[in-house]
Amino acid sequence: MNIRRHIFAVAAAAMFTTGAYAADIKLGVSGPFTGGSASMGVSMRDGVRLAAKEINAAGGVNGNKLVLVERDDEAKNERGVQIAQELINNEKVVATLGFINTGVALASQRFYQDAKIPVMNNVATGTLITKQFPNAPENYVFRNAAPDVIQAPMIAKEAVEKRGLKKVAILADSTNYGQLGREDLEKALKGYGVTPVATEKFNIGDVDMTSQLLKAKNAGADVILTYAIGPELAQIANGMAKLGWKKPIIGSWTLSMASFIDTAGKNGNGATMPETFIQQPATTPKRKVFVDTYLKEFKPKNGIIASPVSAAQGYDSVYLLAAAIKQANSTEGPKILAALQDLKTPVDGVVMTYNKPFSAADHEAIRAKDVVMGVVENGKVEFLNAEDAIVKKK
Amino acid sequence: MDMLAQILSSGIAVGMIYAVIAFGFQLTFATSGTLNFGQGEALMLGALVGLTCVDMLGMNYWLMIPIVCLFGMVQGGFVELIGVRPAIKIKSEFGWIMSTIALGIIFKNVAENIWGRDALPFPSPLPMEPMEFLGANILPMEILVVVGALVMMLLVEFFNRKTIYGKAVVATANDRDAAGLMGINTSLVITFSYALSSLTAAFAGVLIAPLTLTGAAMGGALGLKAFAVAIIGGLSSGMGIIVGGLILGIVETATGFYISTGYKDVPGLILLLLVLAYKPSGLFGKSAIKKV
Repeated sequence: MNIRRHIFAVAAAAMFTTGAYAADIKLGVSGPFTGGSASMGVSMRDGVRLAAKEINAAGGVNGNKLVLVERDDEAKNERGVQIAQELINNEKVVATLGFINTGVALASQRFYQDAKIPVMNNVATGTLITKQFPNAPENYVFRNAAPDVIQAPMIAKEAVEKRGLKKVAILADSTNYGQLGREDLEKALKGYGVTPVATEKFNIGDVDMTSQLLKAKNAGADVILTYAIGPELAQIANGMAKLGWKKPIIGSWTLSMASFIDTAGKNGNGATMPETFIQQPATTPKRKVFVDTYLKEFKPKNGIIASPVSAAQGYDSVYLLAAAIKQANSTEGPKILAALQDLKTPVDGVVMTYNKPFSAADHEAIRAKDVVMGVVENGKVEFLNAEDAIVKKK
Repeated sequence: MDMLAQILSSGIAVGMIYAVIAFGFQLTFATSGTLNFGQGEALMLGALVGLTCVDMLGMNYWLMIPIVCLFGMVQGGFVELIGVRPAIKIKSEFGWIMSTIALGIIFKNVAENIWGRDALPFPSPLPMEPMEFLGANILPMEILVVVGALVMMLLVEFFNRKTIYGKAVVATANDRDAAGLMGINTSLVITFSYALSSLTAAFAGVLIAPLTLTGAAMGGALGLKAFAVAIIGGLSSGMGIIVGGLILGIVETATGFYISTGYKDVPGLILLLLVLAYKPSGLFGKSAIKKV
C-alpha cells in the first residue's frame, strides 16, 4: 500500500501546484479505495478532488490552497486507526473528510476528537457516528450523509405505510453497518407495531443465500428489507430469482451501489432505497453541472457514476469545510468547529443548499426532508416518486 | 418436503464448489506432502482470466475453458518453482506454508490492480431461469458445477491410474525416493502436480463464477472452506473430498435454515475440530505412521 499512498500524495500535490499561495490547508481524505466498498470510496474521493480543484482554481480559501492527503483505509478498522494517527501526527491535517464504513469511522474518530480536529463524515451512515462522544464538552464529529436513523424509518414507511406490507423479513450482514442498521430498522418497524417475521444474517463473501431466503419465505414474508452492501445484496436478488420467489426488496441506500445493480442485473429491478442524490435526471442546474464535470473529469464506465451519492456528498463536504475555514479565518480545530456550528452564509452544494446545517447540539446536515426514494430501473437508479424528479427552481 | 429438497440441492451445489477446490489440495499433498495455500487465489485468477476472455475478447464460454486451464497450469508451475521447490530442497519443514501464503497474497494484490476491487458479474453460459426438480428450484448452472466437478475429478483419476505419466505421479506419491531411483524425475512430477492442482482450481473458478461473483476477494473465503473440506474428507482420498464437500455444504445450508443463519458456519468448524481430534487423517484418509 505504501507505493500507492505515495502515488496518491504526489498526484494530489501535482494537481494543485499551480499559482502562488500563502499557505497550504491540508485536508485528510480517508476511505476504502480498494475492496468491496471501493466504488463508494473512489466516488467520494473523486467528488472531493473535484471540489478541491474548483476551490483552488477560484483562489483557494482566504488565499490559501487546499491540499488533499488521501489514504486508503481498505474498509478495515485497524487501518483507519493507523491512518488517523498518521494524518494527525505526521501530516498535521486541519480536518479530515471521509469514512465510508461505519465501523472504520467509529474506530478512528476518537483520535480526531482527542486532537481537537474536525471530522466531516460524508458517506458512513451509522446512527451512532455523530453521537459517539456524548459526554465530551465539544463534539468534533460532523456528517453530511443521511444517517440510518433517517433511512430506517423511510424504509419502514415505504414498506408498511405506503405499500401495506406488514409481514417483513430483515436480511442484514454481520458487520457493524448491517447490525446497527438492523437495530434502527427494528425500532422503526416497532413504531408501526410491526415485528419482523424473520431476521436473518449473513457474512461478507457468502456464496449462497438459500437458507436465509427460505426462512424468510417459510415465515410468509411479503417484503425483504435489507441492510448490507452491494455484492451480498446481489446474491439476495439472484437467490430470490432462483427460488422463483418474487417479493419487493426495500433497503438502505447501498442498494444503489454499482456492485448491486450490475451483478443483480434484471433481478435488481424494483429495489427501492433512500437517496440524497440521483444522477439522472438532474433536478437543479447545479446538479447538472456537477454530473457533467464529473463525467468529463473521471470518465466512469457507461457514463454512470459508480456511487453518485458518495460523489455528491464528498463534493459537498469539501465546500462545507471550506466555508467554515473561511469564516473562522483560521485553521485551528476549535475555531473551525465553532464556525461549522454557526455557518453565517449558506453553502450551495449539489445535494442541497446548506442553510445553517449544523448547531452545537446537532451535527447532522441531512434531514429526512432532504432524502428521496430511488428505485433501480434497468441498470440505473431513478426517482421512485415522480414529484421528486421535477426540476426545482433553485 | 420441497423445503428439504431445496436445502439439499443448494447444499450439494455449494458442497461441490468446496470439493472441487479441495481436490487441488489433495493433488499436491499426494506427491510432495505440501499444500498450496494459495489455492483460493488460483481459483480467483482463473475466474478473472476467464472473465477477461469472455467479457473483453467476446469469446465463447466453452472456448475460454481450455485457455483458463492452460493459464492455471502455468500459474501452478510458477508457484511450485518459486515457492515450494526451494523449501523442499533445503528440507525446510514449513517453508512452503509461508511461501504459498505469500504468493497467494501477491496474486490477490496483482489481481486488484489489474481487475479492480469490485465484485464483477460473470455472464452465464446457461439460462439463469431455475428448473424444478423434486419440488426444488435448481439453476442449470448448479447442475453444471456438480457435473463439471465430477467429470474433472474422474479425468484426473483416470489419468493417474491408466497412463504412464499418471503412474509416475502415483509412484512419486507412494515413495519419492524409490520413484527417483527408478528413474522418475520426481521434481518434475511435483511441479506437474502443482500445475494440475492450479488447473483444477482455475477450472473450478470459471465453473462457479456465474453462480457467485468474480473479484479479487473471492478466493479467500472459498479457499478456507475448501481447506476445511480437505481436512474433513482426508487429504489422501478423492472420494473423501467429495463426501467432505457435500457434508460441509449440506450442514451449512441446513444449519442456516433449521437453527439460525447467524450460526451457519459453526457446525462445519465443530466437525473440523472433531475430525482433527478423533481421526486426524480425515474421514476417508489412510492413517500414516510417521517415524521420528
